[in-house]
Amino acid sequence: MQPALEFQGVTKEYKSLFGRRFCALDNFSLQVEPHEIFGFLGPNGAGKTTAIHLAMGFMRPTSGSGRLLGNPFGHAATRRRVGFLPENVALYPRRADHLVRFYGAINGMKTSALKKRASETLELVGLSDQARGSVSRFSRGMLQRVGLAQALVNDPELLILDEPTSALDPLARVGVRELLLKAREDGKTIFLSSHLLSEIELLCDRVAVLHRGHLVELGKTSELLQSNERIEITARGIDASLLNGAVAVNGIVSIAIPRSQQRPTITRIWDAGGEIISVVPQRRSLEEIFLEVTSSSGKERITH
Amino acid sequence: MKAVVLIAVSFVREQRWPILVMLLWVLLLAFLGLTTEAARQGEDLLFVFKQVAVYVVAFSVFFGSSAIYNDRRSRRILSVLAKAVSRELYLSGLVLGITIASAIYCFALGLTGSWTLGEAGFPIRQVWFLMLCLLAACSLAGTLALMFSTFLNPFFAAGATAAVMGLPFMLSYTSGNPKWGLAVPVYALAAAVLRSSFDSPFSGSWLPIFLAVIETLVFWFIAARIFSYIDIAVSVE
Repeated sequence: MQPALEFQGVTKEYKSLFGRRFCALDNFSLQVEPHEIFGFLGPNGAGKTTAIHLAMGFMRPTSGSGRLLGNPFGHAATRRRVGFLPENVALYPRRADHLVRFYGAINGMKTSALKKRASETLELVGLSDQARGSVSRFSRGMLQRVGLAQALVNDPELLILDEPTSALDPLARVGVRELLLKAREDGKTIFLSSHLLSEIELLCDRVAVLHRGHLVELGKTSELLQSNERIEITARGIDASLLNGAVAVNGIVSIAIPRSQQRPTITRIWDAGGEIISVVPQRRSLEEIFLEVTSSSGKERITH
Repeated sequence: MKAVVLIAVSFVREQRWPILVMLLWVLLLAFLGLTTEAARQGEDLLFVFKQVAVYVVAFSVFFGSSAIYNDRRSRRILSVLAKAVSRELYLSGLVLGITIASAIYCFALGLTGSWTLGEAGFPIRQVWFLMLCLLAACSLAGTLALMFSTFLNPFFAAGATAAVMGLPFMLSYTSGNPKWGLAVPVYALAAAVLRSSFDSPFSGSWLPIFLAVIETLVFWFIAARIFSYIDIAVSVE
């Protein structure tokens, strides 16, 4: 099965008027498989939006190439099967329902189906009550929801969303999260760029972290969150003071230790007459991983 | 084709205020025809008509030079080009939009001119032919400005357009050969309007109109080639 989105050694350099060069992406390669929710992370200026704009054909790579749903970046007809939400939503000042219909129509949708589909998508994003309101009077969060509606109106195979929930309230965020999970169930692929790490952690099947134009982390979210370096041991029948840093709750003692200390610690618990309940790799948060890889030198740590 | 029409209509809608301001000039002509003695002073009325007519060429240059810039600055272009709209189609929509905006003005001026100048004895058929000349000039001037605006900011794009439009006139003036005026026939078409009079017989030539249509297509093609290499997501400021 061909990837839904693929970057092959893509480099993008920006040149200033005075000839100064800035490399936003450096030999960047990535494959997004169909039917997955892919999280795209990175600090500001990492090159995430540049990568997305290259994929959408808004700019050309300095070198390298890429494919969107099997066709080269910039292939206009392919974008009929793609839904895109930009980071800063900018829309023409019209009625929300007219606007969604406009974007559907320029994407080649038939007028007969469009009215119904526009109403459905506005309802999906929780804007059916404001469908007749002009977007010029909408709040930033409402604009973002109209932006999401126009991205969904053509029932796309691939959704590329750049910070889709950055302006939304917690309730609306939950709504968008459910919408994206439903979209994956329906067989769609979602490429999601976000700074909201908890959201990425909850939603994404795989995650990539970009830092200074380089891919520094890539893997399944579940595997990344499992730390291979630290484990947590839970035991009973011993005193917590036996192990430095251990915590006891209702007679259950738990301690997180480096993997290298696993065997001596277990031996020590057994020697003290204790019973091991569990030995599990310690789960890290995505935030910890993010901070770790973006504060390091940027060496690639690709697992999958 | 549907996308082209929708982009064109969207452009006209976005430019509704400048178009309304343009139409105020037509109202001025109607006002003169209604309320002053000008109705009986045909030459004065024709003078006002000519002045009001050629303004639309300048407006079409401003429309053309600022269309892409406005969409890029507001980042609205991203939502449009994220759909199945190629850059050629997008530019076609803008060219059609500029032509529609100019056509609205030309039609309103043609109606008012037919009425007011017709009353004074000017041949109505000639009024509509002059409006056609004007529309062809506007499409060409707007497309030329659009082409320059793919890589220049609106100010320089308008300046470059004025230079390219004015060069054939300069050449025909200095060389004494009027055929130079047909190289980029915006001036030739505007001159047809400016030189019209009650005395001269109707001698409309279709050649400048034909050339203007062909050159509009050529400049659209060049604009599309240049625009396909432009990073549209890069800030224009």
